Amino acid sequence: MIPLLFLYPVITSVILFFIKSKPLNIAVLFGYSVLHLICSVWLFVSPSGYSAYFKVDSLNILFLILLAVVFFGVSIYNIQFSRNSQEIPQRHTRYTICFLLFICSMTGAILSTNIGLFWVFIEATTLTSAPLIFFDRTKSSLEAAWKYIFICSIGISLAFVGIILISMGSTSLNSLFFADLYNNSTKLNPFWLKLAFPFILIGFGTKMGLAPVHAWLPDAHSEAPSPVSAMLSGALLNCAMLGIIRIYKLMETSGLIFYGKTLLLVMGFTSMLVSAVYIIKIKNYKRMLAYSSIENMGIISIAISIGGAGLFAAMLHIFAHSLAKAAFFLTSGNIIHRFKTKEIDNVHGLLANDKVTAWIWVLCFLCITGFPPFPMFLSKFFIIKEMYSSGNFIVLALFILFLTVIMAGMSVAVFKMFFSVEHHHHKQIPEKSIFDLCGYLPQCVFILILLVTGIYMPGLINRLILYSSKF
Amino acid sequence: MKNIIIVLFGLTMIHVASTSRIEAYVKTLALQGALLFTMVIVDNLNHFSLNFLFLIVETLGFKTIIIPWFLMKIIRKNEIYREIEPSIPSFWSMVIASLIFTFGLTLAYVSILFAQDVKPLYFGISISTMITGLFIIMSRKKIITHIMGYMMFENGIFLFTLSLINEMPLIVNLGVLLDVFIGIYLFGLFFNKIQSTYEKTHIDTLTYLKD
Repeated sequence: MIPLLFLYPVITSVILFFIKSKPLNIAVLFGYSVLHLICSVWLFVSPSGYSAYFKVDSLNILFLILLAVVFFGVSIYNIQFSRNSQEIPQRHTRYTICFLLFICSMTGAILSTNIGLFWVFIEATTLTSAPLIFFDRTKSSLEAAWKYIFICSIGISLAFVGIILISMGSTSLNSLFFADLYNNSTKLNPFWLKLAFPFILIGFGTKMGLAPVHAWLPDAHSEAPSPVSAMLSGALLNCAMLGIIRIYKLMETSGLIFYGKTLLLVMGFTSMLVSAVYIIKIKNYKRMLAYSSIENMGIISIAISIGGAGLFAAMLHIFAHSLAKAAFFLTSGNIIHRFKTKEIDNVHGLLANDKVTAWIWVLCFLCITGFPPFPMFLSKFFIIKEMYSSGNFIVLALFILFLTVIMAGMSVAVFKMFFSVEHHHHKQIPEKSIFDLCGYLPQCVFILILLVTGIYMPGLINRLILYSSKF
Repeated sequence: MKNIIIVLFGLTMIHVASTSRIEAYVKTLALQGALLFTMVIVDNLNHFSLNFLFLIVETLGFKTIIIPWFLMKIIRKNEIYREIEPSIPSFWSMVIASLIFTFGLTLAYVSILFAQDVKPLYFGISISTMITGLFIIMSRKKIITHIMGYMMFENGIFLFTLSLINEMPLIVNLGVLLDVFIGIYLFGLFFNKIQSTYEKTHIDTLTYLKD
């Protein structure tokens, strides 16, 4: 199963490169998403590995399934997106090839059992996604792509320094496999581990979008085409997160848990602070979603660092955030297509213009801010409960404060777009019913999954999240 | 012998911090490549291997010859000669670089107390080189200087990995992958995507996206 996930994109990329046909591009991407979903479910049912380097375990299966589900939804949306886009087949082929390789490298990062290999795949995700961000070929998308690749490359270099430091602490072991590191964690020199963890956290944290090294994220997420934004936010941030969790576990097994916790907590709260500050006066709705991603990554870091029930909450939050944010970004793509603007103030009468999009937009907002019965309510509730029971009242107060501010900022923007009255002197709004079903279906399915999970958690999903929280 | 090379390597960074001529940056990069090449030779004189050959190609071919030559070509093509208006004057930038080196070497010598297997000169100089590289990226404004700052940062990492070459040769090879980024940057600059869209290669023009 695992080799198939790598072979398909590589072989089809070569074929697409020579044929250059738009319908074929769409079909191949959709085919990969179906294959990816089948393989991921198969690997969930019967976990297996391929060579020593790729293996499914209780932690990464959650990330793999999420990647597969988000990718499946995005590839359906992509049918509509590609049909509407005016790009020439040559550029569209380049987009598809980069997309295939992007997914392939994320899959590799999730499955790898060796920190060196993981790092290589994370580097590959940067290289393959930069052209996707530059897809619109505008001045601003070029700026976003440049910032993305430059900031992330520095981050990745710092993560590499972290890996060197870990290997300096484990020269007697001479192995960079996670399992070997965990099993021999008592033999590692704690000095090097302590030095390595900040580098790893800053390095992969750059990719994950933790403040203060988040600068690329709002730009890249807002300038990329919506299917790409959905993949970046719903899957790529998780991949980088996985690396941090793996090294965090190493800190735990080698008795440096307090040190790791403190750093993670500080980064988490900085992220929430940054997004609260920016979101309250946000003008561009795609940037708003990007800042919300920073916030949620911060929440996940905080949840992991407080431990206990927080770990389950973190995994539930990852699950809910991926689906909700992917749906949110895809819906923003519909709004851009209809209103031709990313400015909140220029979107008038969303409800009057496009009922379905408007309602999905509000539902996504309810998902992401954690209204019951959506699962993000549960995860935030567990985090607050854990903070309360462990007596961290200052942390609790800050957490609630930031959540409230961010929710206030987002709700102002979302409801302004939803309810505002249409101005007739505004530029021509395209005709209705321009979208086929593909522009709505994935979001609806994602929201339905979240709704079901929030009300009655199916045993399978519960098992998935519960096992992964015992990483 | 090795120690002399490492110290020379550190001195090149202080030189870079104090200059504003772009060509001097390129020459320093070539010199750093040559120094790294000598390091590899001195380290591996006794045992010849395929990995050794690979490192020679990387340091001598790539770092010393191809990249500096290509950079010069870009500079001549775009007629950028000087870093005008650096955020920090050259003198202070040299002072800061010296302070960074003091910090790096102190850290390295303090770390002997906690880890016996550390090689303080390697560790100190490479950490300081990395930080100075980041400092150059932060204090200069031209895109091409940013790229060269990143290359120096990456040379620092390479020096660091060389201290592990006998224990973990794999790490050294992984580090070489960072050069892929440099390739992409130069490729992008040379085939002037950035150049034609932004008239000047100056980060002050990269301010369209903000909140």
